[in-house]
Amino acid sequence: MNVYIQELKMSARSAIYWTIGMISLLAMFMVMFPIISKDAALMQQVLSKFPPELARALGLNTLDMSTLTGYYAFLFTYILLIGAIYAMKSGISILSEEIREKTADFLITKPISRTAIVTAKIMSTVTLLLLQNIVFIASAFIVSGIVSDKPFDKNVFMLINVTLLLVQLFFIAFGLLLSVIMKKIKTVLPITMGVVFGFFILQLLNQSLADEKLAYITPFAYFDTAQIIETASLKGNFIAVNLALIIIFTAFTYIIYNKKDIPSV
Amino acid sequence: MNVIEINKLTKYYGKSRGIIDVSFDVKEGEIFGFIGPNGAGKSTTIRTLLSLIYPTSGSAKIFGKDCIKQGEEIRKEIGYLPSEVFYYDNMRVIDLLKYSASFYKNVNKSRIYELAEIMNLDLKKKIDDLSYGNKKKVGIVQGLLHSPKLIILDEPTSGLDPLMQQKFFDLINEENKKGATVLFSSHILSEVQKMCDRVGIIKDGKMVRVDDIHTLQSANYKKFRIEMKEAVTAEYFKLEGVSDLSVDKTTVNFIFSGDINKVIAKIHDKTISNLIVEEPDLEEIFMHYYEKEA
Repeated sequence: MNVYIQELKMSARSAIYWTIGMISLLAMFMVMFPIISKDAALMQQVLSKFPPELARALGLNTLDMSTLTGYYAFLFTYILLIGAIYAMKSGISILSEEIREKTADFLITKPISRTAIVTAKIMSTVTLLLLQNIVFIASAFIVSGIVSDKPFDKNVFMLINVTLLLVQLFFIAFGLLLSVIMKKIKTVLPITMGVVFGFFILQLLNQSLADEKLAYITPFAYFDTAQIIETASLKGNFIAVNLALIIIFTAFTYIIYNKKDIPSV
Repeated sequence: MNVIEINKLTKYYGKSRGIIDVSFDVKEGEIFGFIGPNGAGKSTTIRTLLSLIYPTSGSAKIFGKDCIKQGEEIRKEIGYLPSEVFYYDNMRVIDLLKYSASFYKNVNKSRIYELAEIMNLDLKKKIDDLSYGNKKKVGIVQGLLHSPKLIILDEPTSGLDPLMQQKFFDLINEENKKGATVLFSSHILSEVQKMCDRVGIIKDGKMVRVDDIHTLQSANYKKFRIEMKEAVTAEYFKLEGVSDLSVDKTTVNFIFSGDINKVIAKIHDKTISNLIVEEPDLEEIFMHYYEKEA
């Protein structure tokens, strides 16, 4: 419990900043909604001039920007991107930080098992993530209520938002695994950016090529917002893949961290 | 009873050597000096005992329990002070120490203030603002605050001024009198000589020998450098106990073991411009002390 609380204290500030960033982006996009929805026909016309591959890659072909959920789904791609970067950064940092800041000697020579250390650190990261999601989703509902004069489908809106947490959990787990596999991580952000944008580009390709199989290799493709709006549900097979990968990554994190030599300072 | 039992402990980092077949015991209640030059494998041995790293082969037991399988249990009774200390920069000293205490059961919080008082440590400062020596003091307090049964010190005195070193040695001696066993690693022979009952010497990853401190002390080596006013011959300093003698016109270098008065008598009626007498470093002692034995 002491490690969990310590971790919360050390990471809370960063979590708050990132959450503020996500909400700011949300607000910036949403204030434009009334204008865009009014001129939706014009927007559609502009978009139709886009090369079809590009429109597909950006997910513009399937979303109706005149509705709040359609517009939200479009901007949500970028919220998801920021959320993923935050999650990946947290995942990579939480164990490697002790080694980078050379505090691992202090922590590991205490009477606590490595398994307990990993658990406490994961729990604290997930706690912050849950809080971030609660605050963000609440803000999203409030902002959407303000900018939309028409009622919107709250159920679909919620489902879109839930995918943030699911994708973030993937990146935390993946970040954790990377951090224990790599011997020493000097800087977190370049790796984070590389990995997240790598997956994001795969998603752009996936949408552009519309290849069924490609969708499995990038978490950004697991929850297609257009499909969520259409069916008001998430796809079970992708939820299963996502959860399975999270469990596998986490399990390997425990196994590898338990056997890892802590480099001396 | 043995508090530490190390049996053929071997550690390779990939292909590079850490330690090879290291075996020795540390008895309950003793201060055991663990000496050797830098890179000899002292830290590797200690880090294995603390399960920071895992051995390639061999085993180690502390309090009769396996270091790897029962590490968590063992570490309840260990206080560890690494050679270089790093703590969470954003924490205040007192918060770090309380965090450290939170890992142990039944820690007497007043002990923190007591130790901080002795070491002259400002508890309100942020870790980030501390000098290296002060960080070291934090390390000492966090290593001792739970009154461990085994204290492991890895080159503990670097960064401490002589006054603090003395206070630190007093603290360790006091803990030792209360029953704590101490494993004290160092590359400075003199500080080991002052403190320890027995010493183990490690070189190039292998234990050279384990000795009673008195055996080592009787071999009291001194390194002489004498600058004479006038040139002398090497012949002049050929005394019993002199080795590694080199004479370059007026400058004489040698290592001496025995009654120092004999050297003083030799230079007594000569005019010298400079005289330096130093502790030889360990490498030099190894050379001389073990050449004979080998």
